[in-house]
Amino acid sequence: MADDLGFKRIFRLRIAFQTVKDYSRITIILSVLFIAMALMYAGMYPAFEESLSEIIESGFAEGFEFFRGAEDMGSYIGFLNIELYQIFWLLILGIMIGFVSASVISKEIEGKTIDLLMSNPVSRKQVVFEKFIGLIPMVLTINFLTFLAIIGATVAIDQELNFYNVFLTHLVSIPYFLAIIGIGLLVSVVINEKMKASIIMIALIVGMFIFESLGQMVTDYEFMGIISITHYFDPYDTLKFGEADFVGVVVLLIVAMWAMIIAMIYFEHKDITV
Amino acid sequence: MDVIETRNLTKYYGNILGIEDLNFSVKRGEIFGFLGPNGAGKTTTIRTLLGLLSPTSGEAYIFGKNIKDSIVEIRSLVGYIPGELALYEHLTGRQFLNYFSSLRNTDLPLLDKLLEIFEIPLDRKIKGYSKGMKQKMGIVQAFMDDPEIVILDEPTSGLDPLLQQKFYEFILSERKNGRTIFFSSHILSEVDKICDRVAIIRDGKLVALEDVDSLKSKLGKFIRLKIKEPPSTFKGPENMKIVDGWIEFQTSDNVDKWIKEISKYTVLDLEINEFSLEDIFIRYYEGKNNYGR
Repeated sequence: MADDLGFKRIFRLRIAFQTVKDYSRITIILSVLFIAMALMYAGMYPAFEESLSEIIESGFAEGFEFFRGAEDMGSYIGFLNIELYQIFWLLILGIMIGFVSASVISKEIEGKTIDLLMSNPVSRKQVVFEKFIGLIPMVLTINFLTFLAIIGATVAIDQELNFYNVFLTHLVSIPYFLAIIGIGLLVSVVINEKMKASIIMIALIVGMFIFESLGQMVTDYEFMGIISITHYFDPYDTLKFGEADFVGVVVLLIVAMWAMIIAMIYFEHKDITV
Repeated sequence: MDVIETRNLTKYYGNILGIEDLNFSVKRGEIFGFLGPNGAGKTTTIRTLLGLLSPTSGEAYIFGKNIKDSIVEIRSLVGYIPGELALYEHLTGRQFLNYFSSLRNTDLPLLDKLLEIFEIPLDRKIKGYSKGMKQKMGIVQAFMDDPEIVILDEPTSGLDPLLQQKFYEFILSERKNGRTIFFSSHILSEVDKICDRVAIIRDGKLVALEDVDSLKSKLGKFIRLKIKEPPSTFKGPENMKIVDGWIEFQTSDNVDKWIKEISKYTVLDLEINEFSLEDIFIRYYEGKNNYGR
């Protein structure tokens, strides 16, 4: 009986809805930013096309070899992969989503609004779960709008691109960002100051990225990559060949789920001090 | 039935004592004053009762439900105004109330009445509210669904005297309707005015728990007089002091006995006063458990 009521309470998702509202402005800003980036890089390609192939021949791309698909930078797909998907999507958007999700509970603790929130008939698990749900629309919105922007720009400049592959790339990036939200929430329940939590989260993402890149460059250290979530999401293979790493998708979903569950358990037992 | 009951409730923050072995119970329909200076453990007690802190040992029950097992159910029966009230500043008052009413998921029979008493500019962002307006918002959200118990941590801070008065009237009317109020404060005059019983907490431990009137009568009366004869000739009780020619003493005996004794002298001036809660409180805090007996 009590459990039934609990489920009813949780599935009204009021905290989640409020979270969506609270982050709607950031969602719009990030969407605009990423649409602009997508349009800019796609639009830039025709002008760079020739000089790019010279640059590649001169061996310049070797400096980028920690990015996957660097050798293919001269093609439209390769160019988008490096400039947009590897740098802005995987790393910068990852950092931004991480920044936001690491602050989502820590800011309520630091700002002391958690006291009032928890005076309502809500459980701590519910707070973590609903905050997780509440951040998903942000990822979906930015993701979908950037996808549309890439399609639009590609049509406009009349380049060749397999739209199914682009769609697939955006689709399999969802589990990647869910994993970031999960880890961010975990940081958010452990660290009480929102800035500190966000900075730790950024350090984690950048750290994982570096580990993975080192693993790419030095084959002896390839094993290092497996602890990095970027290891399980490769935009290049998906963009170029339409190959999604389904094992990677499953790994990322498991990471997202377990990070959230651990965050729930940790938060359940945490003393919220003032 | 006791609405709140604690059994040896103890909370340590690491090695630092928050509260220790608190035993008290709050009865249905009373206004229970919880007194102590800053740092005595008032807020720790309240936050433990509300499940924000987990007790190191001991137990607490609200409406017979253990705070460890049934905290969500308990929260649907309890309203709360935190001592350090923090609202969602990016929302307007209306958005905030809508959010919270959706979380309460129940009727809000008192909302209109509260908004009538405590006027709040609902269409402005809370960020722009004055301290008093925020405090009014704290009161409205705590009482709007007419909860069985309301736990108040220094609720009148930031309210002007007029609003304080309105607030006292409001909670007295709530008591009439059978609601229970747990009222933490260090403002003794207000506790004196509205509370039925008080608990006094010092260094995390309960030092007194009684109804306000019997606390006062235990302390008795404070008698101060001036006589024509040398003050030292007056045969007062042991606690008699002479200050600036005034004879001062405290008595819990029959006042009549002292009037008869005093009448043997030529009285220049005489004052007989009741102790205020403030005197009682200061006595506890000076560490003297001296009731003047």
